[in-house]
Amino acid sequence: MKIVATGLEHYYGHEQVLRGIELSIEPGSFTAIIGESGSGKTTLLSILSTLLRPSKGDVTYDAKALSQWGSIDAFRRRHIGFVFQFHYLISYLTLRENIALAAMGEFHDQIDPLMARLGIERLGMRYSDEVSGGERQRAAIARSLINRPSVVFADEPTGNLDTKNALGVYELFREFSREDTTFIVASHDKKIADFADTIIEMEDGVVKNISKR
Amino acid sequence: MITPLKALRKNRFKTALIFISMSVSISAIFLISAISGGVVSMYSAMLKTDGDIIVTQKGIADTFFSDINRSFAEPIAKMDGVKEVSALILGAAPVEPLPIVGIYGVSEGRFNSYHLTQGRYPKRGEVLLGSKIDATLKHPSAIVLSKKTFHVSGVFKSKIGFEDGGVVMGLDDGGELFHKSTSIFLVSLNDLSKSDAVLKEIGMLGSDLEAKTTDSFIDSYNQFKIIKTSSDVIGAMAFLMGILGIVSMMSMVVNDRKGEFGIMRSIGLSPSVIIFKLLSETLIIALLAFAVAWGVSEGVLELIKHADKFQGYINGEITAILLVKVFVVSVVMALIGTLMPAIYASRIDPMSLIQKGGA
Repeated sequence: MKIVATGLEHYYGHEQVLRGIELSIEPGSFTAIIGESGSGKTTLLSILSTLLRPSKGDVTYDAKALSQWGSIDAFRRRHIGFVFQFHYLISYLTLRENIALAAMGEFHDQIDPLMARLGIERLGMRYSDEVSGGERQRAAIARSLINRPSVVFADEPTGNLDTKNALGVYELFREFSREDTTFIVASHDKKIADFADTIIEMEDGVVKNISKR
Repeated sequence: MITPLKALRKNRFKTALIFISMSVSISAIFLISAISGGVVSMYSAMLKTDGDIIVTQKGIADTFFSDINRSFAEPIAKMDGVKEVSALILGAAPVEPLPIVGIYGVSEGRFNSYHLTQGRYPKRGEVLLGSKIDATLKHPSAIVLSKKTFHVSGVFKSKIGFEDGGVVMGLDDGGELFHKSTSIFLVSLNDLSKSDAVLKEIGMLGSDLEAKTTDSFIDSYNQFKIIKTSSDVIGAMAFLMGILGIVSMMSMVVNDRKGEFGIMRSIGLSPSVIIFKLLSETLIIALLAFAVAWGVSEGVLELIKHADKFQGYINGEITAILLVKVFVVSVVMALIGTLMPAIYASRIDPMSLIQKGGA
């Protein structure tokens, strides 16, 4: 899914946090939005991922405005996956049930293969407090990928992980992006640059630089 | 079904609080409705025994205050369609050590409506005791009423708690005790289609008489209205308290589970799915609370029925109709109490997951 942002501006109260953002994200790319805290990267990610409406400007998905896709819930469920800094797995459900909760009917058969691919196939019946931080985040990634979304948004997905697990998560993003899923990741972790093919650098609410590998 | 049960188990403490709150409210509704219904049905059953028409003093607030001349019984008995007329004096007096006991002075023809378990029907200066009061007083051979001693001629068993815990005597003794001719006439008819004509004729006998069919009397009886209104008000309060309990507890539950509902919104589950999820959780609690409240209420009613203190006068019964009504009330209570917190949960902005963090 190609995502194009035009003239994006955003305010929290009177404070302007995004200014004149113009960008285009190609399908199947792994895009990293990097910048210091307060640079506007999370706000930009939230707007691109439909969680936040911009104060000004437009975002299109495959050349269609969000309103043209029908229900926002259905659009999210079918086309978008989310990975947050905290795993947000539901604690009373097993890892497998957490993934199943997000799965649309036709994708239920894919739960076990996807868990196997992410290396958590033996943890399906465990609860989130019975596995490690890295395994929890893998389960959260599986939940975001189960409906084979066009694009996965991740906000600081490695913020709570050690270096080894963080690199493992980036590897996974890289691997799945080669299969035509677009990954857009907001992070202050500079190591992500080694994995992403597009890097958007943010500073004080503006895009300072876009580099492609 | 499994997911709501897991959610309830995970939040055990708050689930238990909602369950207790609902059980108490539903039990209160069961008990007040059963007890008030029991009082009304016992008194109604007593009046309906051999009575298609009831004749009282005109304009009295309660049958206990009614005083009519028993000589009217004869012309009423001769009216076309009338099968039998019996006079009944309704009164209450202390019988040591009980502070108040129902006393019934009845015409001789009505004695056979009391099923004797021992002894014989009373003559002048004698009384029959209901089995409940007989047991409470430890099978006395005589009792004292208004400083006058009455010998106990027999004991009867009645399903009507007011009678089983009461004293029955002849009409003349009752008249002397309460200084009245009779309280009411119970008129039974050969032909119910003639009731209108009989009512009209009785009305013409004396301006002091008021005749009604038993059903119409029961419908319009002030004491029943007071009991029913009180019961409805207390029941409504219990219902509201139940709703408030659920609303406050469910609000806390939703607040605790913000992350869960936020993630559900972010993965595209619609608000209605979240609302349904929370409603189904509370409905499960409501069903359990209903079952427990039913059991508890049956137990409490049984205890009350056998408590000497109440002399069998409080004899509540959970009928099938009451069961259905309270079941509906329980479901409605759960749905109303959960709806507002559930709507709030369904509107949780997934942005809060990014802004606040923490699961």
